[in-house]
Amino acid sequence: MRATQVAALELELSLARRPDVYLVLNTTARQLEVKVRGVAVDRIPLKGVEKLLHVPLLSPSSPPPFPLPAVWRVVDGPGDSDREYVAPAELRPYKAEGYDDPPAAATPTRPAGPPPTATPIPEPPASYRAQLDCGWDLWITETLPPQGFLARTRAAVRDGWERLRGRGTHPRPAITLAMDREDAKRLHHLMRSNMPVLVLADP
Amino acid sequence: MRRRRLRVIAIPCLAVAVVVLGVCAVLARFGHAYTAYPFLHVAADRTPTGDAQTLAQRAARAATALQRLRPTGTYLVVDTYRNRLHVYRDGELLRTAICSTGTGIVLRDPRTGREWVFDTPLGERIIETKRRNPVWAKPDWAFIEEGMLPPKDPNERFDDVSLGKYGLYMGDGYIIHGTLFKSLLGRRVTHGCIRLGDEDLEFVYNTTPIGARVFLY
Repeated sequence: MRATQVAALELELSLARRPDVYLVLNTTARQLEVKVRGVAVDRIPLKGVEKLLHVPLLSPSSPPPFPLPAVWRVVDGPGDSDREYVAPAELRPYKAEGYDDPPAAATPTRPAGPPPTATPIPEPPASYRAQLDCGWDLWITETLPPQGFLARTRAAVRDGWERLRGRGTHPRPAITLAMDREDAKRLHHLMRSNMPVLVLADP
Repeated sequence: MRRRRLRVIAIPCLAVAVVVLGVCAVLARFGHAYTAYPFLHVAADRTPTGDAQTLAQRAARAATALQRLRPTGTYLVVDTYRNRLHVYRDGELLRTAICSTGTGIVLRDPRTGREWVFDTPLGERIIETKRRNPVWAKPDWAFIEEGMLPPKDPNERFDDVSLGKYGLYMGDGYIIHGTLFKSLLGRRVTHGCIRLGDEDLEFVYNTTPIGARVFLY
């Protein structure tokens, strides 16, 4: 038994002691598990796990290696922010609707639940970022930005032009998890504040 | 003559190309692009040290403790994205039911600014109570959502129809219950509760004891 495996088990135990959902990212097995109390309730195969930096084209620097195993937490995720808000403009008095019968006489023709037509729920995106407390973003995506020399040069020229116009962007460094479109969508609602992600090292 | 004409055309074209390439080179020099690096890592500082026997003992302790946390007997697993409720007994899948879960929509009270998030909770819950013919005491949001002020008379809040024949209560107002709107099963339409069709609800009610664990993700 390697020391990193023992550390990973002990970290998972500390997460499983709480009743919350947590994610386990196994970079070697290229798998992301959704777990509660040590039970894997969902498994998502990954097409790739990479570090992605927005850097000058011929940058010699490469990011430092991560100390693993570790638990990172989502500090700002799309599961918190991508929500639809509804608010009635004003509220009418309850009686004014003509509900004269006592509620005990409620019938299926006047249900108290939601209306029979479902409120359309926005489709979750297949590519999104969640901020982690380690200073990096977790970028869930179907495909990475193209990495060929020509594609990167084109992106750098475009970015240089935007910077010249004062509209340059400075995206945070990201750990990208490439996965199927449907898997990315179903992970979206789990990316909420304080969601722990246990990242495992090589076995 | 032809050569001269060719030169007249070629030289300016070449000059333009050189300028464009030069500008692109300068822009590329200052611009940034996404660059992928392999996911390298090192052992964390707090990685335990010790001989192989000590490490094996620690690993066994952690594995045993993890095993103890896992559910035994009957438990439910709810997939809130696919809207499926699975009934397990000792790790064996007994039944999968189509359910409806929370919309995730936020309702805001225009008077006070108070907000309600219609999420089905995530994580572990416990079946605290079970009731036949449950009655729903409608909270304020049920009226506000329909553009009405909550009634002053508490008796006007009771509804004995909407929840169906059975209710399994998970605390904080979250219930596994029936529905009048069966065509909406499989969709995210609720205020956080879990709705089931009649047969599935009856099966879940009869199979799941009070104290059973519910894993929601």
